[in-house]
Amino acid sequence: MYTLEVQNPVAEQRGVVNSFTSSPRPKSLDGLTVGLLWSGTHGGDVALNTAADLIKQRFKNVTVNFYNGNNYPAPEHIRQKCAEESDVVIGATAD
Amino acid sequence: MCYDMIEIEKTGVPAVPIVSGRFVEDAVASSRAFGMPSLQWVVVPRIYRNLEHDLCRSQTADVIDELIEQLTSEIDARVSGIETDSGRSYEADDKYEAVLAMNDDLIGDDLGDGLPLFPATREAVEEMLTGTNLPPDHVICDMPPGFGIATVEKVAINSVMAGAKPEHLPVVIAAVKAISNIQADGGKSLLMSTSPQAPFLIVNGPIIDELGFNAKSAIGPGRDNQVNTVVGRAFAMCFRNIGYWYPGKMDMDTIGTTRKFIQCVAENEEMSPWDPFHVDQGFDRDESTVSLFITDGELDQQDQGNTTAEGLLKNLAYGCVFGTKSIQDKGHTQRLILMPPDVAGPVGKQEFTKQAAKEFIQANASHSLGKMIQYMPLEGEARVSEKWKWLENLSEEQRLEIEFPVLDSADDCYILVVGADRAKTAIFPSGPSPVTEGIDQYRS
Repeated sequence: MYTLEVQNPVAEQRGVVNSFTSSPRPKSLDGLTVGLLWSGTHGGDVALNTAADLIKQRFKNVTVNFYNGNNYPAPEHIRQKCAEESDVVIGATAD
Repeated sequence: MCYDMIEIEKTGVPAVPIVSGRFVEDAVASSRAFGMPSLQWVVVPRIYRNLEHDLCRSQTADVIDELIEQLTSEIDARVSGIETDSGRSYEADDKYEAVLAMNDDLIGDDLGDGLPLFPATREAVEEMLTGTNLPPDHVICDMPPGFGIATVEKVAINSVMAGAKPEHLPVVIAAVKAISNIQADGGKSLLMSTSPQAPFLIVNGPIIDELGFNAKSAIGPGRDNQVNTVVGRAFAMCFRNIGYWYPGKMDMDTIGTTRKFIQCVAENEEMSPWDPFHVDQGFDRDESTVSLFITDGELDQQDQGNTTAEGLLKNLAYGCVFGTKSIQDKGHTQRLILMPPDVAGPVGKQEFTKQAAKEFIQANASHSLGKMIQYMPLEGEARVSEKWKWLENLSEEQRLEIEFPVLDSADDCYILVVGADRAKTAIFPSGPSPVTEGIDQYRS
């Protein structure tokens, strides 16, 4: 019987070594500001506006702001503005 | 989009992307690459890009409950399952059967390229490491697009698997380093594209003859291209197993390309009328280097009888308009031109410097703007750069009538002399700008 032992070619990822956990979630979207970050891909704006309309139907006093990132990734100043002005953010599209 | 959501999460704001269909594995890979393996998302079945608006709305409505839950509930971290430390062992009746078992296993886990792999035993890796003066735990870079930690040891393991020899290792190390310097972000967005972008490697300097790289019919299979093939394969293995450029996970190509069987060719320096490419990049002629380009296509531009420099270059300029012209903010339209000696020789002899040849090509590589932007419907298109917004006021017919240079500058065109004796130039749409890395610093 022969045993062949080989070494692992797969590297550890920096993003896993230095990973961080997700942000605390609000219990409800009542009274919050929802940021919609669009990559500029066709249909993504429709998706985001649909999500926002449905959220506004279910929660009270929701403010919605739309941010046009226009690219992958979004320009830093647009992403920063979205983060600063929003309580939660939805992004589209990831494809 | 996962990158954007993670950057927003880092600020303390919950952020959830909408992920389409086959991009779930890409989202998993991206979340690990960009530092938040527990990023949450919702998945819709169809890609939005060419979907009718009613279907866009309905598939979004179908996931609204889950989307709200992701934004308002504490979530469990996603478990990785990717093993990076332990090796593997295979028991069989004999060595050959054990190697076959190893191949079934590693290829089945997509840790290869579909072709038979060499076993990365401890002894083989130690032998490979004699090719460099760097210690095994030295970190070359975080290799994009997955930002795997590229230690010399991991590069050596992948090089063994590809069939490389110790003397090839410094070239592979230099190429791994080079890709981490493509653009500010290592080209991660480009490398994760649904288009067929792929790295292309070219060596210059004394290493060409020392290791036996082929500078003539340099791309493709065969005995004369063995070194070109093996070094390119070693880099490609690193690109997947260290850079995480796995098909369907971070390499999201729609159809694919043979250029992803990466080769490392050599410039035909002795038959070039000009300085070699690495000298243009600031290196001395007697230094050895590897240059990394990202190509997006390939064309054979044949010349059927021109003998004047202008005739040869005009034909070649026409070949450069093949491909797209980007009108986005982050777009980059460049051309890598592998010019054979039978084109470079007459052009150089008729007193065109390389720079003059590039300027001639840029000035003559013009085509219908409407065609070069691929008949793109611009109405409501968000990703058009401000400087091109004026096109939105024109009809498709008007855009088609505008003749425009495909390259913004002569510096967007790179000429390297490669090839055997025939006037057939290989032109590759490419970009962003290439990176050249010295090899000698990594040799033993």
